[in-house]
Amino acid sequence: MFEQYISIFQQEFINNFIKEDRWRYLTNGLLVTLKLTFFAVLLGLVIGFTIAIIRNVHDNTGKLGFLNFLCNLYLTVIRGTPVVVQLMIIYFVIFGSVRIDKALTAILAFGINSGAYQAEIFRAGIQSIPRGQMEAGRSLGFSYFQTMTKIIMPQALKNVIPTLLNEVITLLKETSVAGYIALEDLTKGGDIIRSRTYSAFMPLIAVALIYLIMVLILERIVKLIERRLSKNDKR
Amino acid sequence: MTNANESPLISVRNLEKHFGDMKVLKGITVDINKGDVVCVIGPSGSGKSTFLRCLNRLDEPTGGEIIFDGVNILDPATDIDLHRQKMGMVFQQFNLFPHMSIMKNLTIAPMTLQKKSKEEAEGYAYELLERVGLKNRALDYPLQLSGGQQQRIAIVRALCMKPEVMLFDEPTSALDPEMVGEVLEVMKELADEHMTMVVVTHEMGFAREVASRVMFLDGGDFLEENEPKEFFANPQNDRLKEFLGKVL
Repeated sequence: MFEQYISIFQQEFINNFIKEDRWRYLTNGLLVTLKLTFFAVLLGLVIGFTIAIIRNVHDNTGKLGFLNFLCNLYLTVIRGTPVVVQLMIIYFVIFGSVRIDKALTAILAFGINSGAYQAEIFRAGIQSIPRGQMEAGRSLGFSYFQTMTKIIMPQALKNVIPTLLNEVITLLKETSVAGYIALEDLTKGGDIIRSRTYSAFMPLIAVALIYLIMVLILERIVKLIERRLSKNDKR
Repeated sequence: MTNANESPLISVRNLEKHFGDMKVLKGITVDINKGDVVCVIGPSGSGKSTFLRCLNRLDEPTGGEIIFDGVNILDPATDIDLHRQKMGMVFQQFNLFPHMSIMKNLTIAPMTLQKKSKEEAEGYAYELLERVGLKNRALDYPLQLSGGQQQRIAIVRALCMKPEVMLFDEPTSALDPEMVGEVLEVMKELADEHMTMVVVTHEMGFAREVASRVMFLDGGDFLEENEPKEFFANPQNDRLKEFLGKVL
């Protein structure tokens, strides 16, 4: 009875992963997922950082009113709609009539999405620095911009690193909807295997395990960095 | 030091500050001469700190004039950053930069803003550190120091810019009692060297001993001003009498 299960398992495994080199759907898919995540995080970093600065300048000086309005609009729309819908709008509507690389579209969509969340993370980081730091910088004669870059930002960024890495973890999982624009990421790869072999268990569990391992590795890194940072705090 | 022919270092005219409907400063007019050690006392909420913070525009005044070095620094056309370099400020909460070593705290402004060389900035910083007895802490970080030490460093940080006036915003109020003395001592030495100082404080002993003028601020205006001996021995204003009765 037990041996029977083993033999079915073996057969399933061979059928789903070994036959016709089907494992390649997973490895290629994983590469696409990692690529999407990496570049989307970078794009989100640039967008998020810029927005956080604009909003902070506005909060403190009342300048940049129009830009601040645009930022708020962007944050409201992006955080108020599902990322899959944003992805499809960008692919089918905005670039509907142009031939454009799917991966690039996906990076744009996920980057723009992540930017909204990273903006809030940076903003919280900046706000976590006591007001006295800005006042001390300004009282010495530093401009707002100089105080920001030399005194506020180095402290804020350090506070923000763990939260930012958690955003990377979130994004890694969120890119699993890339299949909606027929991009063959990890999830889609597993799904293709399922459609070839008509068995759902093996490929989907494999996909889930791979995500889980990735996330566990990233979480490990977050922990290490957190520990290193808090060590510096005691000094 | 005070020269009658010399125009005042800071000349405040009809200074007003409103927070919404609340008028915190109601048209203050006062001159601060070179070498003056002005102690500003008064009940909490009287506007003492606001007055001080308006002097370098950390709080933006609502109206009036502040002439510093012959320039109205409330004029939007003046570069306030340039004038702040000449006005050192010491805060109640020290506000040292925790991510920088003490030496970096002391040299970053002179090196960035006054284009001093590293050697020159550090040399002067060491000189001042020596005088406040903290030369051996130059490479430590602010949070490794006690409150009193941090505040002495904060004073040195302001002095490193070679300011023409030092503004003190309740510099000993956040300190444990046993550390108040060491900070006041540094301030007293500064006064002895004829540094122009404006000190918002609750330390009546310091005001009596070190100040050249003591001013009583209440309800948004100066109600009485005198040299310290007369001020404390023979107060005229009823509110001042009441205040001194409570704190002395």
